[in-house]
Amino acid sequence: MQEVRFLGRGGQGAVIAAELLAQAAFLDGKIPQSFPFFGVERRGAPVTAYARVSSEPIEVRGSIATPDAVVVLDRGLLRFAGATDGLRENGWVLVNAPASVQAFAAPAGIRLASVDAARIAVDHHLGSPTLPIVNTAILGALARVTGIVSLDALERAIAAAVPRKPQENRAAARAGFEEVRPLTDPRSRLPLPPPRPRRELPLPEGPLALRSSEEILTASWRSLRPQIDLSRCTRCNFCWKYCPDVAITLDAEGYPKLEEEHCKGCGICAEVCPPKTIAMVAEA
Amino acid sequence: MTVEVLSGNHAQSEAVRLARVQVVSAYPITPQTTVVEGIAEFVASGRFPTQFVKVESEHSALQVCVSASALGARTYTATSSQGLLLMHELLHWAAGMRAPIVMGVVNRAVAPPWALGADHTDTFSQRDTGWIQLYAENNQEVLDMVLEAYRLAEDPAVRLPVMVAEDAFYLSHTVEPVDVPAQEAVDAFLPPRQGHAILRPGEPSRLGSFTSPEDYVLFRHELAAAADRVVPTLGEVEGDFARRFGRSLGGTVVPYRCEGADAVLVTLGTASTPARATVDALRSEGKKVGLLKLRLLRPFPESELRAALRGVGAVGVFDRAYTFGAAGAVATETRAALYGERERPALTSFVGGVGGREVTPSLVRRVFDHLLRGPEEGIVWSDLEPHRELETHG
Repeated sequence: MQEVRFLGRGGQGAVIAAELLAQAAFLDGKIPQSFPFFGVERRGAPVTAYARVSSEPIEVRGSIATPDAVVVLDRGLLRFAGATDGLRENGWVLVNAPASVQAFAAPAGIRLASVDAARIAVDHHLGSPTLPIVNTAILGALARVTGIVSLDALERAIAAAVPRKPQENRAAARAGFEEVRPLTDPRSRLPLPPPRPRRELPLPEGPLALRSSEEILTASWRSLRPQIDLSRCTRCNFCWKYCPDVAITLDAEGYPKLEEEHCKGCGICAEVCPPKTIAMVAEA
Repeated sequence: MTVEVLSGNHAQSEAVRLARVQVVSAYPITPQTTVVEGIAEFVASGRFPTQFVKVESEHSALQVCVSASALGARTYTATSSQGLLLMHELLHWAAGMRAPIVMGVVNRAVAPPWALGADHTDTFSQRDTGWIQLYAENNQEVLDMVLEAYRLAEDPAVRLPVMVAEDAFYLSHTVEPVDVPAQEAVDAFLPPRQGHAILRPGEPSRLGSFTSPEDYVLFRHELAAAADRVVPTLGEVEGDFARRFGRSLGGTVVPYRCEGADAVLVTLGTASTPARATVDALRSEGKKVGLLKLRLLRPFPESELRAALRGVGAVGVFDRAYTFGAAGAVATETRAALYGERERPALTSFVGGVGGREVTPSLVRRVFDHLLRGPEEGIVWSDLEPHRELETHG
């Protein structure tokens, strides 16, 4: 049995990627299973999905602790400890990244590959340039590096199961298959982020899970960050008023300040700023 | 027959289409939503000529089904968690009016705090409403059970509504191969609903209106008599299903390697899958353990359960829900059923997988280890310690 973990953000198609992999594996004559892990179902929120492909009936359900491959639809998610946890020896980490990015946080003893699935998606008019739907392109790349499914079966699964732009999605899968680059240079590995300490919160004495939302760090949802040009700021405070997450506070002089750990990158502040001093820029 | 890779929710949608349901009404709630989306797509594409009634709440959805059912229509709704709780009043109406509605329930934890994961509290808390409750372990069972549920519900001996329950995400959003029978085969197994129209527009009459104490008890007694006929009728329905489709769901309780077992674990829903794998692993290590999968919770198949557990030394019951002020619900029911036995096995109530926590083979192994050490009073909370992984993102 081969097991794949997909890490993405709501809107990128990670759940559908896992399901398409299952459909394609079935067309290859295998027994598949796929399963998403749901938290908040919202555009930009981290999403994990899983797929199993076997030649025998599958006797397990649920998440995958020891994957053979981890597919990272948004490389920002590699910043978080645990992204590649449990990956098997010689397993694959496949990352969506432009060719200019050559180094990734990756454990030793694994195989690393990258594909510019975002560019391929934009080339094929899948999603928008700020939120491209990268799943079919990266599935093509996965088929190439792991051989878990044939490209032919993947294309047939896309044709049968993708309701919108099936031809464009098939072409994106082919492009991902052609363009994926295995990275063999050891310098392509960056040290893994340290594991985040599990904060032992005492159980609340009251009946409900009373926890300040200050403790819930929602910045992992962000793919675009507001960049504020304070030299042109009129201190109208619109950004502060309209921010739905209180992620903009005001300093002593009344200038806005971004709360890095809580801003989800929704862009409302940029939208409402009268002199347009806020630009939404891609996360590094 | 064709094999398709389907989620549990789409297995419900396919079964509803194949059953030629005439009226569908439902209100969306995660994780049930894709059941209704699947049906809506069939309707929109012209593949499924049903009356699809949009409503503003689950309460209204079930009212639509109750009314349409009284007029003789085959009806379907689906819900989950809070939606099922909101239906509670109408659940009694449906059963009391002997409306053979089939409802898909995606078992989801009940708030507060808000949660989406698999948990049986929602359906357990409807045990007294008069609905038959069937629980699926995989997506094939979901599809097959919906088809069987209509035969069972509409059988003149039964005439009761049925819930077909599937675990949130572990079935509802998991895709796996499902054998989808041909329409003609389903038509032969499940002919149109007949002779059940209680209200006829040309013959004005009342249904469910005021009764005296003298009469009321008669309705309750009839309900009880119908409940007693569920298990034998389900046996007939499943026999016919097996003959036509070549596969059997295995009855109300499904034993696995219980012969000569020192310890047997009783499970419901998807917990049965890791439990079966663990039984195999433990048997290969020489430990005499077995699994008893319960498929029918209401009415409770007392005598089948007793027969299956006869001679077993220790029984563990694994409940994916905490039942207030008692042990796990299935544990309480099982204990009551075993009371009639001359030789009663020791019984331990395990609670685990609550709110969607994963029931893994290692958890089941710990449960069996506990069980083989000896019985324990009260509830054993089997998986309270923090879980591995999944807390990877903020």
